[in-house]
Amino acid sequence: MQEITGKLYSAGCNVSADYTLHCSNGQMTLINDDGTKLLAPLTDIQLGVAISGQAQDITLPDGSRFLPDDVNFRLKSDFDSGFIERCEKHKALVLSSIVLCPLLIYLLFFVVVPNVAASAVTLLPDGVAKTTGEQSMLLIEKVALEPTELDIAQQTEINILWQNSLAQLRLSNEKYRLGFYRSDFFGANAFALPHGQIVVTDALVTKLAQHPEALRAVLLHEIGHVEHQHSMRIAAQSVASTVALAVIFGDLQGIAELTLGVGSAIMQQQFSQDMERQADDYALHNLETYGYKAADFATALKLISHERQSEQNDWSKYLSTHPQVETRIQRAMNYQNSK
Amino acid sequence: MDLESREVVENRASQTQKHEVQFTGDTRSYFSIWIVNILFTIATLGIYSAWATVRNKQYFFGHTLINGHRFDYLATPLQILKGRLLAIACFALYVVSSTYFSVIALLLIVVWCIALPWIINQGLRFNLRMTRYRNVQFSFKGRYKDAFVNFVLLPVLSIFTLYLLLPWVLKRIDSYIHNNIHYGDKKLNTQLSTREYYSIAFACFCMSIGIGIVVAILAMVTGASFSESPQIITGIVLLMQLSLVMIVTSAYQAMVRNHVYNNSHIEGVAEFESGLEPVDYVILNVTNVLAIVFTLGLAFPWAKVRKAKMLAAATVVHLHPEAEQVVNVQQANQSSFAEEAANVFDVDISLT
Repeated sequence: MQEITGKLYSAGCNVSADYTLHCSNGQMTLINDDGTKLLAPLTDIQLGVAISGQAQDITLPDGSRFLPDDVNFRLKSDFDSGFIERCEKHKALVLSSIVLCPLLIYLLFFVVVPNVAASAVTLLPDGVAKTTGEQSMLLIEKVALEPTELDIAQQTEINILWQNSLAQLRLSNEKYRLGFYRSDFFGANAFALPHGQIVVTDALVTKLAQHPEALRAVLLHEIGHVEHQHSMRIAAQSVASTVALAVIFGDLQGIAELTLGVGSAIMQQQFSQDMERQADDYALHNLETYGYKAADFATALKLISHERQSEQNDWSKYLSTHPQVETRIQRAMNYQNSK
Repeated sequence: MDLESREVVENRASQTQKHEVQFTGDTRSYFSIWIVNILFTIATLGIYSAWATVRNKQYFFGHTLINGHRFDYLATPLQILKGRLLAIACFALYVVSSTYFSVIALLLIVVWCIALPWIINQGLRFNLRMTRYRNVQFSFKGRYKDAFVNFVLLPVLSIFTLYLLLPWVLKRIDSYIHNNIHYGDKKLNTQLSTREYYSIAFACFCMSIGIGIVVAILAMVTGASFSESPQIITGIVLLMQLSLVMIVTSAYQAMVRNHVYNNSHIEGVAEFESGLEPVDYVILNVTNVLAIVFTLGLAFPWAKVRKAKMLAAATVVHLHPEAEQVVNVQQANQSSFAEEAANVFDVDISLT
């Protein structure tokens, strides 16, 4: 084996001197210009990381360290130093990585994470949904809701409709509760919390005042969200993707998070569009099953979306969070036709 | 000062050797390391990220040379992995509880404030101990109490002074970090001036105002055509804010770096000098971000290598002959948990 020149750093201090390395018969020998000789069996030495453009250093049993001058020096290959470096030098692998990386990221965040999240939610005990729902309700109530201004007669009327629906669906009226609130923040809207609390705003009731059957369709849609555990799934999904992001990209700094942040926002959107469709189906199916019309839901959508659209200019339609409202109305109409 | 002692001083000064910091890495080799790091990290669901960290750091440390001697990063992948798993567990706990139980999340913020100084100290301690030049390791000896005052108490107080105290707080933070760094048995001494921090802050403030005025004029000249679509205006405002933040922070970092380096020395071992031009550094960072965005991230290695080269080229170290006598004082290895916790929770405490 040829001679390798380099520096020997003394153990635990800054002193260094030029040495030459010889290896033979499982023994390494370091020789100084003035003839000083150091011997060490190859089994007792520790090798440094092998990385492109840097010599692999050798730490001797006494703590002194030999660093060859030749930056391509490699004593031998173990897993860390050998396999990984060979991969990094493999041109085809490096080039195909440019395609493989985005592909794997897509698979992980759009296929693996959503599925894991969905199946994990079914394993959660009911208590979690209850606590989550109650706590969220507490916060939403404080921030965005005010006491209802609907008159008692109107409330009673809707409550009767609500109790009838629950009875027909054979759902517990202890779990499912309906609440009326005035809210400038939500406008004409209804939403469901995971523990069965359903909130309807005064504005929505007023808007659908002449169409109680449309309001029923909206309530069924919200029950659909609860029955399919949608809020819990969104939460689980965001937990899973946040943790996955942290694990994988904790080290890759800045850029990866930026690109993936956009991706996860789109993903969330896609996920919630699927959920809307599922809740729609629940409402449509049950409307038909219990002798109402699926078209009632179309009526509700038309009435709710009518004002919203007139408020917006053409440009922002593309950015609207519910761009598929036309499609949803069409589905409701067709649902009726197909039965 | 009498004649004799002046002679001694001059004599000493002439004995110090001036060394420019060299960076020998190149985009090509770093690109393959970077892309393989990403590929393996995803394929192993994050486990490889510990190996990736080590290779990443060693690449930049080992390619940074002073006087022909390189730096080394000493942490082992398993150390990093252990710390990372613990940090992830804490992070998952935080995310789960804050998603499902909003009230507990508030409590965790308090816990976080109490833990933060410890985490910062541990992170600095771990990173510096894992840094070696020649055969001597660095270390960090900051105490919890000081970290709490500098990183939690004073920043919160400065809010109540309408951020007027902020430059002074930033000076204290930099002073705390640097004055607790040791190289072997020698301590780093950094004398920072409050006045300098205020003039840097003032320069940054003027810069923001100046850019704001230029943008406003441009908007007035070209703005008419956008006035009908609020979305475009919102987008432009957001973009402006981002670039303003990037420009001003780059300029700030360059000026502070120069001030810190030019006023730091290790007694009897080394003096430091940094001549980073704020304008150059701003241009570098802006073009880096543009390149990364327009190549969908592929230019990242190029940007990182380019930055390392500029920072190295702007740095000079004067080494004393006695530098050879520094003795290593590090022994036991601690876990990297705190550093990982800091990473995952995204608390940036970079030293440059």
